Amino acid sequence: MPVTDAFFEQLADVGHDPRLCKVHGSVRFDIRDGDRLRQWLLSIDHGQLRVTPGDGPAQAVLKLSTEVAEAMVRGELNGLSAMLRGEILVDGDLALALRMGRLFPSPAAAREVGHPWARR
Amino acid sequence: MRDIPGTVSCIDGNTFIVSDPSGDVDAAPATPVGLFTADTRYLSRWVLTINGERMTALSVDDSQYYEVAFFLVPGGQVDYVEADVSAIRRRRIGPELSESLTVFNYGVRDADLDVRLEVAADFADIFDIKFDIREKAGSHYTQIEANELTLGYRRGTFQREVSVTASEPATVDPHGMRFQLRLPPGQHWSTQLRATMRAPRPDGRDWRDAVRKLRPDESTLPDTVRAWIAADPQLDTDNTALQQVYHRSLVDLAALRFAPLSLGGATVPAAGLPWFMTLFGRDSLLTCLQTLHVTPSLTPPTLRILGALQGVRRDDILDADPGRILHELRYGESAAFEEQPHSPYYGTVDASPLFVVLLDEYERWTGDAALVRELEQEARAALDWIDQHADLTSTGYVWYERRNQATGLENQCWKDSWDSISYSDGRLPGFPRATCEVQGYAYDAKTRGARLARTFWDDPACADRLEQEAAALKDRFNRDFWLDERGYYALALDHDGTPVDALSSNIGHLLWSGIVPPDRAPRVVEHLMSPALFSGWGVRTLAEGQSRYNPLGYHNGTVWPFDNSFIAWGLRRYGFATEAGRIAKGIIDAATYFHGRLPEAFGGFDRQTTRYPVRYPTAGSPQAWSSGASLLLIRTMLGMDPHEGHLAVSPALPPGFGRIALLDIPGRWGKVDAFARHRPVRPPTDGTDSFPSPSLE
Repeated sequence: MPVTDAFFEQLADVGHDPRLCKVHGSVRFDIRDGDRLRQWLLSIDHGQLRVTPGDGPAQAVLKLSTEVAEAMVRGELNGLSAMLRGEILVDGDLALALRMGRLFPSPAAAREVGHPWARR
Repeated sequence: MRDIPGTVSCIDGNTFIVSDPSGDVDAAPATPVGLFTADTRYLSRWVLTINGERMTALSVDDSQYYEVAFFLVPGGQVDYVEADVSAIRRRRIGPELSESLTVFNYGVRDADLDVRLEVAADFADIFDIKFDIREKAGSHYTQIEANELTLGYRRGTFQREVSVTASEPATVDPHGMRFQLRLPPGQHWSTQLRATMRAPRPDGRDWRDAVRKLRPDESTLPDTVRAWIAADPQLDTDNTALQQVYHRSLVDLAALRFAPLSLGGATVPAAGLPWFMTLFGRDSLLTCLQTLHVTPSLTPPTLRILGALQGVRRDDILDADPGRILHELRYGESAAFEEQPHSPYYGTVDASPLFVVLLDEYERWTGDAALVRELEQEARAALDWIDQHADLTSTGYVWYERRNQATGLENQCWKDSWDSISYSDGRLPGFPRATCEVQGYAYDAKTRGARLARTFWDDPACADRLEQEAAALKDRFNRDFWLDERGYYALALDHDGTPVDALSSNIGHLLWSGIVPPDRAPRVVEHLMSPALFSGWGVRTLAEGQSRYNPLGYHNGTVWPFDNSFIAWGLRRYGFATEAGRIAKGIIDAATYFHGRLPEAFGGFDRQTTRYPVRYPTAGSPQAWSSGASLLLIRTMLGMDPHEGHLAVSPALPPGFGRIALLDIPGRWGKVDAFARHRPVRPPTDGTDSFPSPSLE
């Protein structure tokens, strides 16, 4: 999952993210690729961001497949919708987990407007 | 969509059941009855029969919002019922639906009874119901166990499920359950029915578990409601209609509180039953503004959640921009699969300025400077949005044009139906559009934002800039929107700047915002109180005589209590106490015809003609900002406003109100009382009837 790894590594380099200046807490992403589990731990202290690969306790844990993770980092996925669909499973602090959506690129920037509503 | 008169609802935040007066649910696909949670219908059929007969209600007790008791006899509507057998259905809503069913035999011989409950679940999304969409993309399933019927719906990893259980032995089949009993004379039989709603993730856990753990135990509901009512100011008045509507409004505001996922358990007002049982930016902000003197505790969580979900980037599907405050947040299937853009949708242009207006008004009442500092960044971003993202034609106004052409909203002001903004001759303007009342909100937001910047954010330069911008906006607005030959403000500007000349209630909001120069106010007020706009009950959304006027047009002729409450506030601000009183009296009078529960809207028919307010067919009820309307009307009658650390009171009671006392009004002063006795109101000549307002020059 090079795309996802690159995304989190880039986040680690940023250090401070003003989009999270109201956020305080720890969030872990558990990304499953078949039998393989890749974990990223984010510690956020009012915008100060520490990103480390690997396990560790967190107030919110997001469990998702590598496909869903890649779609998110490519900006092809609305995180709240994916959670309502059961594609992202959140354990722990849901409000904190939902704040993480801000870190990912905007879905609409990556796709054509109008396309996803074929049904109506 | 259509709705059914005479429904009975039972509410707990965004979980609710709407049934007929016998307690039955027999939902057609496009009818908003049934058991709902998280924007999904979990029960579309819930019908009780005894020996094959449907039940008829002799009386219904729904005085508590979270429980209802139905007193029933078998058989259809007849003039006289000889009832040996009768039943009581006692229903309660919480995270699940529970219903205690008791059947009595008051006859002289044994009764052999076949008691049946028919059950079905279509798992319709609220938008399936609204747009009458009948085909589901996923598949339904049914499981039968002892005394338990489970109905489910699955679409990929999306799953919703309801289990109905009974405490007494039942024969269960895919369409319901049956109880066979022999009841001796004078005996009764009971069972406890329970419908448990689940939204399981692929691992079987419910994704709402974490949020639900934070809510108080269901058994404490009566205590929390009593505490809610007890914490509110007491109203003492000789006007029984006002007493009734005040109490009902407080109970309904309690009913509509719900805990969104993103807020860690704190509750905010949902907008209204049945269509709007979720978070709306505009509705929640205006409801908070209406209720600051009674229930200020609603405001901090509302501002916090709207701030937390404030737009941070452009998104053309969600119509989002940096700094924009959201319009609507949904949890159903259409949001999950992005068939509707509600996760969340940002297509509103008034929520962002109103966010700043509420933050300022809240501080004026409570003195809670900490919240003003906590939300500084969000308030600044909302103010920046006005200039950087809303001025689509670079003309200095707040404009709107949806970028999501498929499912976005065409009109992004409070009158958000497709045909609500029209010329007097009925033509619809092009896009983008700039409606008048939103310019007033923007003016007010800048004016109030300046006070916040100077007093709390230690940024006098920002305050000066905002004040200059507000003054410039006021000048510009009064040049471009004012129709001098008609004496009122245009409803909107067309894309090319042409004034959209319909006469509408929107001009009343301009008085509330203070963007009207005092010398123009009398002409505006004359129109608001003219027979074309004032129906006798309230100000119509669109004036009689306008081409699209229809007394039953959703935004084109009906009377909205919330709209009128802000108009009355504006009238008092400019010293028109008599006119404000006429509106207050008209709306409170109307409330008596709805048992104290003001609906979203009612017909715009002339009061002299119909003598009663005509029900609008699909009106929401209860509706948060309609409940809030009565509270704001009390504020305007008492002329209450925070002034230099104390509560200023300048009462002006309309005829029919001999005495109003509001006791223990919370605020920066601790708790104070406001008293008013009726005395004839002076004509509005010298402006002394206006109550102090910091931002009105």
